[in-house]
This record gives sequence, structure tokens and C-alpha cells, in this order.
Amino acid sequence: MAITRVTQNMISQQSLTSLQGGLAKLATLQEQLSTGRVLNRPSDSPADTTSAMRLRSSLADTVQYGRNASDGNGWLTQIDSALDSAGNGVQRARDLALQGANEGAMGAAAREALASEVDQIRIGMIDTANTTYLGRPVFGGITAGSQAYDASGAYVGTPGAVERTVAEGIVVRVDMEGAVPFGAAGDSVFEHLENLSVALRAGDQAGITAALDDLNADRDQISAARSEIGGRQIRVETSLQQAQDRELALTTQLSEVENADLPKVIVDLQMQQTAYQASLAATARVMQPSLADFLR
Amino acid sequence: MGGTFASLNTALSALQYNRVALDVASGNIANATTEGYARRRVQAESIGAPAQPAMWSRYPVGGGDGVQVAGIDRMTDPLLDVRARREHGNQAYLDIRQSSLERLEAGVGEPGDTGVAAALDDFRAAWHDLANNPGSSAARAQVLAKATTLADAIGIQSRNLEAEAGDQRVRVESDVAEVNTLASDLAATNRSIAIANLNGTDAGILLDKRDQLALRLSELTGATATLRSDGGFDVHVNGVALVVGKDAGALEIASGITPGGGSDGNPVAFQITDTSGTTAVPAGMTGEIGGLADMLNTTLPAYAAGLDAVAQQLADEVNTAHQAGYDLAGNPGTAFFSYNPADPAGSIAVALSDPDLVAASSVAGGVLDGSNATALSGATSADESYQRLVNGLGTEVASARRLAANQEALTQQVDSSREQLSGVSLDEEMVSMLASQRAYEAASRVMTTVDSVLDTLINRTGLVR
Repeated sequence: MAITRVTQNMISQQSLTSLQGGLAKLATLQEQLSTGRVLNRPSDSPADTTSAMRLRSSLADTVQYGRNASDGNGWLTQIDSALDSAGNGVQRARDLALQGANEGAMGAAAREALASEVDQIRIGMIDTANTTYLGRPVFGGITAGSQAYDASGAYVGTPGAVERTVAEGIVVRVDMEGAVPFGAAGDSVFEHLENLSVALRAGDQAGITAALDDLNADRDQISAARSEIGGRQIRVETSLQQAQDRELALTTQLSEVENADLPKVIVDLQMQQTAYQASLAATARVMQPSLADFLR
Repeated sequence: MGGTFASLNTALSALQYNRVALDVASGNIANATTEGYARRRVQAESIGAPAQPAMWSRYPVGGGDGVQVAGIDRMTDPLLDVRARREHGNQAYLDIRQSSLERLEAGVGEPGDTGVAAALDDFRAAWHDLANNPGSSAARAQVLAKATTLADAIGIQSRNLEAEAGDQRVRVESDVAEVNTLASDLAATNRSIAIANLNGTDAGILLDKRDQLALRLSELTGATATLRSDGGFDVHVNGVALVVGKDAGALEIASGITPGGGSDGNPVAFQITDTSGTTAVPAGMTGEIGGLADMLNTTLPAYAAGLDAVAQQLADEVNTAHQAGYDLAGNPGTAFFSYNPADPAGSIAVALSDPDLVAASSVAGGVLDGSNATALSGATSADESYQRLVNGLGTEVASARRLAANQEALTQQVDSSREQLSGVSLDEEMVSMLASQRAYEAASRVMTTVDSVLDTLINRTGLVR
């Protein structure tokens, strides 16, 4: 643009415009500095806004998956410790059965003592099978009740899977149906213990031996169930670890998209301030003189 | 060659001319910062010999060699004025668009922790928590609370849109009123200019006023002004005559806005009524009113429709999934969200009030199954639609801002060109004032000299002491 004729108004207008421009840039930097974000509204960068919204959404999901996994881990830990004590109970009952099978040394009173201990073990075993996590029986499926087994050892739960989503598309079952470790109705560990107790009281060697075989099978069954739970627990813990790692990675990415690079903003601000002061000084010098100063 | 006293008359004409030149300089200095004032320049003209020299041809009465005022020029360029009006109209159009879009954008609040996107994330998380704990009434109540927050967040955006549209409708009404005042002022000015031209009086101030009125009309409506032979302006809005000579038509809102500032459901359109009848103004006006009409007819409804689609998608998808499940008592789930199909975003609300009615289970019979809650956590893809909507808005705002900034550079350049021609330079006026002053002094000296020459001739010639 060729300027042929400059007027005082032009100078003041141009000074005002450039001062305004400098102030506007200062205000933008000031906003970035005080909010700590370069992305304050969608129009700052529409593409980054979409990324930020996606990252925020993924981040929320990941945090939630972590919570789901922790909760699932609680269930599985509870089941594991229940199965541990159930295994010990069966082991003890086997020992008692072996003692009872040693017929020469056993009087009726001794067998009665063994039988009553077996009864106690059975009651303890039913208690173990009714283990709850946050008020829900872990072997009871999706029952709304508080028990998986009643006092007689009959299953009162509702079969159904309790599942936790521990990652996008990854669902882990965190309960265990009672029949898996304890046997189905008619062939359950509670009935085997009852049979053993009856056989001990009656001195029925064949019955004791049969119960001993059943208990061996039960012991294997419980430890198989325990190893399955262990496997699931590893999956859940891995997912939990992954969720935590991913949370960190997503937070970093989000911050890269949204947050201001503080050193850069501060340097920019400093430069902009200098430029603004320079234009203020220039304005003051240019607007001051007039021909009237030099004419008399 | 004149007679004995001709030089006195010549000096007199110089005194007269230089007084006018001083007057003009003082007028320019007085109006140095007056908006719309174009500097004046006095044109001098030497009084010379008659065009046809002849033995008895005479100089004009009171003449002789000398100077006279040929006219006072108003330093403007009609071409630049036309250009300025057009650029100011475009500038006003883009500015109003930018400011309105920026207000809308500020109300969206993305990306952040309080917007619709964050509410959607919370809503999803609440379903997961319920899936983890289907028997907990706290988790159920939490789902309802998060859903209410989500519905409110959508509703707030919808109401922001409504409020923005309402503000703009009011603005259109006041702008139209201003246009009509300006049009009748311009018509009156046109009339005065025509009379002044007939009388031969100076119309400079009227021309300043005319230019200012036309510029403001262009800013408001993108109107074009054409020069009449009598010195006035004819103004057309998008091809329809608004001011013709001394007659002004009235710009009216044809549809879209009720007298109370509400919406009548139709697109905003304008018409001009004058003595010859009513003519519809074609769509595509620029200027402030054009920008407002575009926002009201296109931009705001498009965003509202996008938001409606998001709300409807959310409600429909969640309802479908919710109705596939069973509530705490084992009864089939009912609709989770309710909305009015005519205005989904404005009316979306949670239909359930009892937390027990949340259908977390996919098994009937009142068991503690959470699989339907898990399904519900992933039931809706409304968040993706919403992201697209926000992305679209952000792009539009960024583009409006860029366009306005570009236009501003152009407008400033045109304004600066006008200022170069029409602006008052104090230094220049000071110099011309000084020149006039010196010329005035010199002319006075001529008079004194002639006077003393005549004194010598009349009083001293032929006397012998």
C-alpha cells in the first residue's frame, strides 16, 4: 500500500489498532497461562477438541475398568480364601476318616468323637460355602438372598454369572457356582461328610472307605476350582495393572493436547510484553510532535 | 490593463480570497476528528483577460487582475466510498456472525469437566457401578442422578441456543427500526441537497451527512448507494429500492419474527414497502441484519438440529436397552428417558423416579444380575455424534473468526485509503494557514504601496517648495 498522504487521524487510528492487536495477543497468552490450557474452547483447534473429548471419554472408561477390576478382584480373593478353608476342611475330614477306618483301635466312643468332629467340619463347610462379599454370597450366583446353601447343605442360590468388564470387550466371571467346588446336589461334599459321619457312628467300614474316596474326589475338585479362580485372578490383576498404565498414558496424551507448554507460553508472553511496550513508546513519540511546536 | 485604481482592487481580491482560505483551514482544523468529515480545499482562480480580446472588451465589474474563489472542493473519491460501503457491509456481517458464534461456543463448555461429554462419561460409569453392585440402592440412585445431570446438560445447551436466537431476534427488530430512521433521514438529506444545488449554496455539510447515513445503512443491510444527478443517493437493499431521491420506503420483517420478539417458526425474511407497494427482499443480504438472519435461519437451527439428534439418539438407544432388562422386582424395564419428539434436546428428562425401577438385570425374577447394566453402559453412541457436533461448531467458529480478521484487514486498508484522501492533516492546515496569512500581509502591503504611490501623484506632484 503506497501511502501518499499521512494525517494525524491515520496515525492515531493505526496506533490504536496495533495497540489493540498487541493487547489481544497478550490476553490470549494470559488466558493460556492462567488456565494452563491451550485448548479453552472448540474453535481453538477443532481437531484437538475432538481428540481431547475422545481421550477424556477413554480416560473415564479406563478409570471405571480399573474400579471394575478391583471389585472383581475382591470377589475372587474372597472365593480363593473360602476355597482354601474348604480344602483344609476336607483334608481334616479325610484324616478323621482314615482314623475311623483304622478299626482295631477304635471304640464306639472314639468313633462318636470322630463323627461329631466331622459334623462340625460339615457345618463349618456350609458356612464357608455361604461366604459373602459385600453382602452377596460368592457361591450363590445371582441370588438376591444372603445364602448359597441352607443349613442342610441344599443349594438355595440362583445359578447365573456375576461378571465384571475389566477392559473394553473383556468380561471376567468373578463368582463361582457352588456346584463347581462343592459338587452337585446328590454328590456334594456336604452329603459326603454326612455319609462319613453316619458311617463312623455305625462303624460301617465300607461306608467310611466309600466316603474317603468321595472326599478325595472332593479335594481334587476344590483344588481344581481354586486353580481356576487363581487363573481368573491373574487376568483381573493384569487388567487392573493395564488400566492403571493406560490411565497414565491417556492422562499424558490429554495433557499434551489440552495443556499449555508453560515455558513456551511464558517466553511468548515476555516477548509480547516487550513488543507491546515498544509500540506504546512508539505511539507516545509519534503522536507528540506537531508543527505548532516549531512555528511561532 | 486596468485603470489607475486597478491594483487596489487586485489587492482587495487577494485579501478576500485569503480570508476564505483561512476560514477553510480553520473549518478543517475544527473538524479534524469529526466522524465522516471530508476535508475541504479552497480552489483559487486568477481573474484574467476576457476570453475574446477586443478593443472595447471590458474586465468584469470590480475586476482587474486578481484572484477569486473558484469553489470549495470536498476531497472525496466516489469510487473509494462505494468500496468502503461494500467492505463495511461485509465486515458487519462477519463481525456479528463471529460474536454470536463465540457466545454459543462459550455456552458449550467443551472440552471440560462440566459439559455434555463429561456428563455422558459419568453416566456410563454409573451404569458400570450399578453392574458391579446391582442390589445397592445407592448405585441405582446414582444412575438416576447422573442421568438427570446429563439430561440437564443437554437441556442447558438447548436453552442457551433459544436465548441466543431470542437475543438476535430482538437485535434484528432494533436494527430494522434504525434502518428506517436512517432511510428517512437520508431521504430528507437528499431533498436538502437538491434544493442547495438549485440555490447554489454550499452543500458540503449535507454531503458529509449523506455519506455517513449511506455508510451506516450499508453496515446494517449491505445496501448499495448510487449517486443521483441532483447530488443525492438512491439506496438499494439487495436490489430492492429503499430510498429514491426524497422518498424513503420502510424495511419490514416479512416473516420469522413476531412483534413480541418471538419466533413464528418460519425463516426470517424482509420486505420493503414504499408508495408503489410491497416488494420482498431476496435472501442473501449482507451487513448486520444479513448476518443475524443467516444465524437465525441457518447456523443456529443447524446446531439445534444436531443437538436434538444427539438427545434423541441417546434417549432411544438407552430406552431400547433399558426395556430389554428387568428392574429390582423382576418386572420388565420401562422407558428410561422421556422426551417430546418436537424438541428432544429441550425436553429430555429421566422418566424414572424410583431407583428400584432401573433395569439392571437381564434375568427376570428379581435376582441380582448386572449384565443389562453392563449392556446399558455401552448402549449409546451419542457421545460420538456429540463430538462430531462440537467439532463442527468449533470449525465454524474458527472459520468465522478467520474470515472476520481477513475482512478487517481489507476494511482497514480501504478506510486508510479514504483517510489519506479525506482526512485532515493538521500540519498541512498549519502550512496553508501560514501561507494565507503571509499572502494576506503581502496584499495589504500592495495596498499601502499603491496608496503611497497615489499620495505622491495626487498631493506632491507639481508642487514646488
